[in-house]
Amino acid sequence: MILIEIDLDRVLDHALGLGVTYADVRYQRRDSEQIQVENGVLKNHSSQTLSGAGIRVVYGGSLGFASTSDLSWKSLEATIEYALKGARSMSSPEEELLRELKVNTVDVRLPTKTDPFDVPPEEKVGLVLDANKAALTSEAVKSRISRLGLVNNLTVFKSSDGADVRVRTPLVGFGHSSVAEAEGVKEVIGDSRSMCAGYEFIAHEDWNEFSADISRFAEEAVRAKHAPPGTYPVVIEQDVVGLVLHEALGHACEGDAVANNASVLAGKLGSQVATEQVTIVDEGVVQNGLYHPYDDEGAEKGRTTIIEDGVLKGFLTDRRSAQKLGMNTTGNGRSQDFENVPIVRQTNYYMMPGDQSLEELVEGIDHGLLVQMRGGRGGQVDPGMGTFTFGVGPSRIIRGGELQELVRGVVISGSVLDTLKTVDAVGKDFKVKTSIFGGCGKMGQQVKTGMGGPPVRVQRMTVGGRRG
Amino acid sequence: MAERAVEAALKAGATEAEAFTQRSRLLQIDFTDTDKRIRTTQSTGLGLRVAAGKRVGMYSTSILSESELGQAAEKALGIARAAPEDPDWRGFNKRLERSSIQRIYDPSISGLDYTDLVGRIDVALDVLRGYSEKVKPSEGTLGLVDATATVANSQGEGMERKGTGAMAYFYAKAEDEGRESTGIEFVESRLWEDVNLDGLALGAAEKAVRFLDARQMKGGEMPVVIRNKVFASILGVMLGPPINADVVQKGASVLADKRGTQIAHEGITVVDDGVMRGGMGSSVFDDEGHPTQTTPIISEGVLENFIYDSYTAQKDKVESTGNASRSYQSPPRPSTSNLILEAGTATPEELITDTRRGLYVETVIGEWLSNPVSGELNATITQGYLIEGGELTQPVKGMVLAGNWYTLLQEGIEALASDTANSGSNYSPTVKARKLSIAGE
Repeated sequence: MILIEIDLDRVLDHALGLGVTYADVRYQRRDSEQIQVENGVLKNHSSQTLSGAGIRVVYGGSLGFASTSDLSWKSLEATIEYALKGARSMSSPEEELLRELKVNTVDVRLPTKTDPFDVPPEEKVGLVLDANKAALTSEAVKSRISRLGLVNNLTVFKSSDGADVRVRTPLVGFGHSSVAEAEGVKEVIGDSRSMCAGYEFIAHEDWNEFSADISRFAEEAVRAKHAPPGTYPVVIEQDVVGLVLHEALGHACEGDAVANNASVLAGKLGSQVATEQVTIVDEGVVQNGLYHPYDDEGAEKGRTTIIEDGVLKGFLTDRRSAQKLGMNTTGNGRSQDFENVPIVRQTNYYMMPGDQSLEELVEGIDHGLLVQMRGGRGGQVDPGMGTFTFGVGPSRIIRGGELQELVRGVVISGSVLDTLKTVDAVGKDFKVKTSIFGGCGKMGQQVKTGMGGPPVRVQRMTVGGRRG
Repeated sequence: MAERAVEAALKAGATEAEAFTQRSRLLQIDFTDTDKRIRTTQSTGLGLRVAAGKRVGMYSTSILSESELGQAAEKALGIARAAPEDPDWRGFNKRLERSSIQRIYDPSISGLDYTDLVGRIDVALDVLRGYSEKVKPSEGTLGLVDATATVANSQGEGMERKGTGAMAYFYAKAEDEGRESTGIEFVESRLWEDVNLDGLALGAAEKAVRFLDARQMKGGEMPVVIRNKVFASILGVMLGPPINADVVQKGASVLADKRGTQIAHEGITVVDDGVMRGGMGSSVFDDEGHPTQTTPIISEGVLENFIYDSYTAQKDKVESTGNASRSYQSPPRPSTSNLILEAGTATPEELITDTRRGLYVETVIGEWLSNPVSGELNATITQGYLIEGGELTQPVKGMVLAGNWYTLLQEGIEALASDTANSGSNYSPTVKARKLSIAGE
């Protein structure tokens, strides 16, 4: 069982004794394990323990923060001093720093059946070796990497206001990538599945078939031509919708960006920013998504409506941005780990489903593309402009309302507000997912997120590819 | 601590052991137009690798206490004993030595005064605001780190090394009559003296204002001049993986069987320089304790070498090139140190003057989405200019650059400038590509 190695109340008392007006302390312990098999050889099996405490103080109206992985009292005292030194270096703002918050005292966890750290190492290694072997579907497959990731995380948040929030989050996942070669051309396809669950999720899935299917897709993709460059209509499948929304819209509704006028959505509350088919929310606990019932400031994370029927209804906030915007906190104050200050982050950010089948979405396009995620490489956005770019996976040409051949090397790019105004149909097949392998970066902090939605049709999307 | 961890592992029954420890202090100040955040982190960590014959396991912990050492040894051994034998396992690094490098440790960094630093940022933000009424700071970061690492293994004596880093980023946002644009400037160095906050703030402001007029233009194939820091980043993304012996051995490098052959135009020379004076990727020994060195990668277009750590080197029966890289939480892998594309003699202005019609690329996003396996290069141009009659004219944005990296290396690079700059530990001059595909409106 996990022990809390330090006396959090003593830290708070010591900070208050130095004259701070508010203090909170976050203790974290994260146990994790990775197994990686490359071309039939176990290349890495390692296990980690990360623990430490982050201390935040308000002194003279300013915030300071410091952390330590050394939990001796001497080091904790020094850490409180560093936090205080940071707060003192800041000129004090005139207004209140942090939004008032309901003081929560809870201890929550997702029920799991099997602790992954109780499963014998031989069994876990064997599973990854088998799946890696299964991915050798033909001689065209030149390289195979399979990996298993397992995490148990505990955070304990206590504040001088009396909050005591304990959250235990399990996360497990399996990922595979294959490189296929044909006629001197190589293509890599990677994919993964993860769940906030115990080892039972890993034990119940057929990872051999999952990995073999990736190899078969890589073999098909390597023979594909390039996508035709230009601007044309596309249908975007669920995983890409989730990623585009997260990157290009989600970041723009983060309250810190809004308050700093660094968001394209600043000043647009109540206005029509998307077509009527579009409704988007951010929610802390969603089936198959990230498990995030409370944030790293001790606030509850429920469901926040961002866009309802195309109208911008809300932003995501932590205590600081909520105060600046004169709004309530939405429980989106999240940090990578105890070494980082909570900042506004998305949890499960997704689009609500509509009523059309994928066939109906595709039927509406004469010349276009079904944009698919599998094998994609991720995305990036210029937050001030809402310009996004995503390297997506091999995708299917749409011709005469029907799906045709596969094309590769597809990059989609655009401005999010322009793109949302050309969404003319929303599908019904809905999914949300999270990943143990990936994460979202902002201001140097990586956090796990959940994302998804239904497939949607967009009338204008700039597609980068290559002629020929 | 590292040496004691090795002893604990040998005592617990390991046939060999290696310990890597890190201890660092980071001061980071994030700022916006109206707000600042400051944090100090003190991090420690131990990564312990053990071998039981040809079975290898690893455990890492942020807890550096004597009682944790015994547990770490037991956990690492438990993992090792569950592993199948690795037929390629030939032991940990056998050459524990250090190289000599100047200007990678700045002792002043850990002593800088918090209040003074915050004051300097305020001055720079005022410089940015003062450039024009149209421009404001949007966000930025100042980061200062002082780190110590140690390596010990059962083959030789433990060693310690120190390094510092100073990074600063400024983003500016300009607005005028409904038009918006952003500008970014950054510096990444080993030394505090290289960080000119006022200069960065001014540069970001200038760019933001200049790009108010930017728009998407018609695409096509055209000559493209790519700014040094942008090409440095592309170099790292596209050449870093395929010259990595680990990637080569897994069969995922298109350069696997190309050593000794012409893979680029004879004007192209690239080195991996682990001992570069002041280099962001320099260190006196690598993360296995092997001495670092200068390794020729491409000499006048010929692929000379891959980069190795001791595992991949022993597998290929060659010497390690001192490129082992890791955090304390992961096992080492080869990684480029300072990857440097050798500069040419032209000025960047000459590259533009020599272009009748083309594009100049100032900033991109998403270049890291390019595919080093297939060689497909992609990047979205967030800021650029049309080049018309040898001059920069219309500012452009939102266009997607595409091409094949190896075609570019072989016949696509027309000229290299002499203005080397870095993005992280990748170094490049401004480069003129003969022809790249540009997707636009």
